[in-house]
Amino acid sequence: MIKTVNLTKIFRTDEVETTALNEVSFEVSKGEFVAIMGPSGCGKSTLLNILGLLDNPSGGEYFFLDKEVAGFSERQRANLRKQNIGFVFQNFNLIDELTVFENVELPLIYLGKSSAERKKRVEEVLEQMQIVHRKKHFPLQLSGGQQQRVAVARAVIANPSLILADEPTGNLDSSHGEEVMNLLTDLNTNGTTIIMVTHSQRDAGYSRRIIQLFDGQLITENIKA
Amino acid sequence: MFKNYLKSAFRNIIRNKFYSILNILGLSIGLIAAIFILLFNSSELSYDKHHEKHKRIHRLESDFTISNKHDLFAVTSAPLGPAFKIEFPEVEEFVRFAGSDGILIKYNDKEFYEDDLYYTDSTIFDVFTHEFVYGTPENALTEPNTCVLTETLAKKYFENENPVGKVISDADDVNFKVTGVIKDLPESSHLKFRGVFSINTLVERFGRERMNSLEPGAFWNVNFYTYILLNENSNIESIYEKFPGFYEKYMKSLGDQINASFEFMSTPLADIHLTSTLRSDLPTGKKAYVFIFTLIAIFILLIASINYMNMATARSSNRTKEVGIRKVLGAVRFQLIRQFLTESVILALIALIIAIASVYLLLPDFNQLAGKNLVFGFNQTPMIIFWIFIITLITGLLSGSYPAFYLSSFMPVKVLKGKINTGAKSGWLRRILVVFQFIISIAMIIGTIVVSNQLNFMRTKDLGFEKENILVVGLQDTSLRKKLPTFREELLQNPNIINATTSNGYPGQMGGIIVMRVEKLEKISENTELTDTIKNTQNTDSTTFHTGSRMVEHALNFTMLDYDYIDTYKMEIIKGRNFDKEMGTDLEEGVIINEAAAKELGWGDEPIGKKIDFGVNLDGTAARYTKVIGVVKDFNYNSLHNKIDPILFFLSERPRDVLSIRIDEKNRQKALEFIEEKWYEFGAINPFDYDFVDKTLDEMYEAEDNIGRIFRIASVLSIFIALLGLLGLSSFIAEQRSKEIGIRKVLGASVSSIIIKLFKEFIVLIIVAFVIAAPLAWWGLNDWLSTSFIYYIGIGWLTFVIAALLAIIIGLATTSFHIIKAANANPVDAIKCE
Repeated sequence: MIKTVNLTKIFRTDEVETTALNEVSFEVSKGEFVAIMGPSGCGKSTLLNILGLLDNPSGGEYFFLDKEVAGFSERQRANLRKQNIGFVFQNFNLIDELTVFENVELPLIYLGKSSAERKKRVEEVLEQMQIVHRKKHFPLQLSGGQQQRVAVARAVIANPSLILADEPTGNLDSSHGEEVMNLLTDLNTNGTTIIMVTHSQRDAGYSRRIIQLFDGQLITENIKA
Repeated sequence: MFKNYLKSAFRNIIRNKFYSILNILGLSIGLIAAIFILLFNSSELSYDKHHEKHKRIHRLESDFTISNKHDLFAVTSAPLGPAFKIEFPEVEEFVRFAGSDGILIKYNDKEFYEDDLYYTDSTIFDVFTHEFVYGTPENALTEPNTCVLTETLAKKYFENENPVGKVISDADDVNFKVTGVIKDLPESSHLKFRGVFSINTLVERFGRERMNSLEPGAFWNVNFYTYILLNENSNIESIYEKFPGFYEKYMKSLGDQINASFEFMSTPLADIHLTSTLRSDLPTGKKAYVFIFTLIAIFILLIASINYMNMATARSSNRTKEVGIRKVLGAVRFQLIRQFLTESVILALIALIIAIASVYLLLPDFNQLAGKNLVFGFNQTPMIIFWIFIITLITGLLSGSYPAFYLSSFMPVKVLKGKINTGAKSGWLRRILVVFQFIISIAMIIGTIVVSNQLNFMRTKDLGFEKENILVVGLQDTSLRKKLPTFREELLQNPNIINATTSNGYPGQMGGIIVMRVEKLEKISENTELTDTIKNTQNTDSTTFHTGSRMVEHALNFTMLDYDYIDTYKMEIIKGRNFDKEMGTDLEEGVIINEAAAKELGWGDEPIGKKIDFGVNLDGTAARYTKVIGVVKDFNYNSLHNKIDPILFFLSERPRDVLSIRIDEKNRQKALEFIEEKWYEFGAINPFDYDFVDKTLDEMYEAEDNIGRIFRIASVLSIFIALLGLLGLSSFIAEQRSKEIGIRKVLGASVSSIIIKLFKEFIVLIIVAFVIAAPLAWWGLNDWLSTSFIYYIGIGWLTFVIAALLAIIIGLATTSFHIIKAANANPVDAIKCE
């Protein structure tokens, strides 16, 4: 599903040049649950952004669904992204002005689905995430765990084949964190590929493979039994 | 998708109440101003277009050249219209209007003085479009002593009766039969009459020869507004081409005799209101004002739009997260631009609703202010509502355009990581926009000061006579006029009445022009034959010249008056003497001229004794052969828009129809009561209906007065909107820089040093704006003053100092609330929350 070859990302400011990713090569197959770990500033999030088609690499190749996408324009990336990738963020990134229902509905709107179809699908997913009773609330009226469940609902609404999660439990207490991890595991069991960046050994424990990054370089890949 | 835009737009507006209210308030005020200006302008531009044939109607006007001097009149001679119809097949019809003011109309026990009545040809209803309420246009004015009234005038005398067939009469008990009632004329008519009388009345009264004569003499005496209706497919140009032949046939013989020539001019009916600057014209508008007001409306809307842009980009840091999320979820830039534009347009539409409601409420006040009678509504002015809707959309799109393009350009990765410092990036643009707002506001402040100074100047300028405490009253009443000397004596018995005089005009309404013969000095070389001239020989250096003089024709203003005129008006004789009853010859042989006349006639320092022949007949004789006995100091007998033209005073052998009375300022009321008592005691049948001269003079500046008021309001509004923007911006800046302020305070900065630092940043903007605005305003206003007035003020540096200080003071006052609050905040809070 995903393959990177010598992926490199360099940030430049006027005087300083920082190498965030240095020739990172790895593959993720369909249906995998991969955790990316490493200390702060090692390039985890940069890697996730490139994998999520939010950013372009400075060098190397990136194959997404067997297509070389490293040189795609913003519009092309947006198109590919909205059909195939769902995101879960550490700070949830829900739009405060929209209700739970509307937040979850958003990706379907950008996919151009009809209103009836959207309604049906949103109800379905909210049901699945056990948050349907909160659908008319605004994000700020919810607890952190509830907000993250909404975010997960939003990530899966369009049936993406890949979910990218950036520290999904980072802002949650342990019980809420566990809830979210269980949700992700369930999704994975149903066939969704998941790539998750995390600091937490415990969260990483839910994955089947751990990729360790350090100073922008891939050091180890542990495949769990 | 659109529903989603609407939803998030409304929620954003509600969530950010403070900024939304500032924006909506600013936009509403901008739109209110725009609607009023649109109403005003469209009324100005719609003049006379309600006449179905307006495109074929032209007004004939006169251009006389007498002694190489042009005189342009809005009126023509009586026979010009009829002769045009005879000579030019292009002319389908003509109609003439001869105006009369202050006519007494009587019906049963009702009697009032009426203005705006005209004698007119029966063709009026063929040329112009008027809707009849009673009667029919056919033959309505063909008979002598018939009249057609407007609805309002008819109601005044006949209430709800049908007046057709009823008879009204005038002061001399001449009867007029009412043959029709028409709808009141629309506000947008340049010639607003309240009633018309058949011109055949005049023909009957003064004789066919005088009214319908095509003799050369009749063409040189102008007092009719004349309109011609051209045939379809004809144009006025072909008449201009053929006019020389016309002149040759009807007018040349006399023209050559009096050393004069004549050209006709014409103005298309719909252009008269905004373009005419001719003498004896009816009140008109000015194209320049339509232009200035349009500019003001655009400026005010721009200021309001800039507020929106400024606040939207300033707060963009709050929106970046949303942009980022939407982009991550698959929104493309175009969709985001649409979303932000929807938001700004919705805000503008909310403002529009408020604006329309406010215009309904404020319309009566505006009408009073602008001296208009405008209407507004979905039924009355659908086109204006349509255009204001379009303007609102444009304003909304314009306001939203910058934030939309700016916000939608954020890279999702960066904004979600909080790496974009949006505030700083757009800071420069915001500064430029604020400077722009202040340029407009400061220019408006300067404009307001200059316009009101000019108005004040016009009201207080020494006019060469004392305009205060003189009342004028018409003496239509011949019985009272006959008893005038005793009436005057009786009045003067009262200590509150200082002086009284009669004349045929008073300042503001003075001077008819007529061709006279005046003595002209000439230097003629020795060998020239001098016949018919007065000779005296004089040595100039070594060459000998005859300095001779001869009598030449010259068109000059004159007024007929009595011995007390100059004293009553407190004019100053600077050479020679006033008229004197002891000198029995003054009536027949004396004339007093003004300085301008002495100058124009080339009499230098020795005008006394120069000859003027007055009332020149075609055979060359004159009614009076006069000599200059005195020179009166120049006085402004017209408005200050015009320069002081030469004017001549002749004594009138009988009391004239304007009585001017100077009364004691301290006892005005007593004086007025006394005059009124005597007025009826002497058997006057007309009501005692007077005006004060200073008030009449002020009315000549009504247009400027209106401009001044509209300017004042517009500048207050634009400043207010700009200040709303400043308020929003200062709140944002204070909020955004709370961390910097906190750190500075931790490091030992005092509250006052921080306040000063923040104030400085705003003051710099205002100063930059001032530096740009001042020369622009100076240039524009100087242009206006020098083209509109002959007598005007200089624009002093004080005006600019006041404007600058005003801008700085109100700018500081507006920003102070948030700045002082930010400077006084506990630094711990600011640092902790980052």
